[in-house]
Amino acid sequence: MKQSKDPFEVAADESPPDSPVGHADAETQDPAVQPAVSSQGADVDNNIHPSNQEKATVKSASTSAAGKSVKGKEDDDEEEEENMDVELGKFPSSSDPTKLAKMQSILSQFTEDQMSRYESFRRSGFQKSVMKRLLGSITGSNKVSMPMTIVVSGIAKIFVGELVETAKVVMKERKESGPIRPCHIREAYRRLKLEGKIPKRSVQRLFR
Amino acid sequence: MSNNNSSVGASSKARVGPSQPSETSFKRKRGVFQKDLQHMMYGFGDDPNPLPETVALVEDIVVEYVTDMVHKAQDIASKRGKLLTEDFLFLIRKDLPKLNRCTELLSMNEELKQARKAFDVDEEKLASAE
Repeated sequence: MKQSKDPFEVAADESPPDSPVGHADAETQDPAVQPAVSSQGADVDNNIHPSNQEKATVKSASTSAAGKSVKGKEDDDEEEEENMDVELGKFPSSSDPTKLAKMQSILSQFTEDQMSRYESFRRSGFQKSVMKRLLGSITGSNKVSMPMTIVVSGIAKIFVGELVETAKVVMKERKESGPIRPCHIREAYRRLKLEGKIPKRSVQRLFR
Repeated sequence: MSNNNSSVGASSKARVGPSQPSETSFKRKRGVFQKDLQHMMYGFGDDPNPLPETVALVEDIVVEYVTDMVHKAQDIASKRGKLLTEDFLFLIRKDLPKLNRCTELLSMNEELKQARKAFDVDEEKLASAE
């Protein structure tokens, strides 16, 4: 009787062979995590157990399918090898065991929709090569170090998150639904500017 | 401006709409981040298929944001000399989510480097043992 298998574990088992470190990490962490998950499961209400089992079988089938389809997207991002190592090899929280167990219990209760969105959240990122090129052109120097690229990509991703989340808040206020429109993003950008999260230009751009 | 556009034509530098002239010689193709941004925006709460105009706008905003950040970092770094990663960390010191994420990324990078080094050393040992 297996607890619902975490899609990340599934993905880690299927991870490409050129990431031996990530693979090794996942292997060593798996046994450490399973006991935490099963202890959580023991505390869960008995009523939930049968439905959990059914959900588990359905979920593992669908998430393995989802995992394979996501794989297709990842093939385009082969250059993000390092990024993928980081994402697949590490579990969603720090090595703090209580946080880890909490995260596992939350993840196991995700619906398919939520899991797919979370997967996109974790795996998406800016292509290192493109970011490196962009940084090189801004700084004017050819050699941009890898840590700098990683840091700027991380900062940019969180910034996109702030934009999208603020845009969603704007949509909720205006009681609109559907995909985010540019007007929402512009309003979100304006609000972030008021909060001071956008770096101010010391030189005014004249013709916009 | 219009002359520039017509002569440059389909070249990568042509930009329409509320765009500003690029200061750098970077030949900016539109939609460099398009694919990644679509997944990212979905992950953060947008529709599974975000509107293309929204993605284009977000890309413009992100590139402008990165550009301004780098310029600011360069201003800070110019006092010392070379541009370092620490300059970016100094810039985001007040923004806790970004700061924590960056320190996490950097430490993970270090860990991976160490692990890869150890792996390479082991491989060498195996190879020499054979």
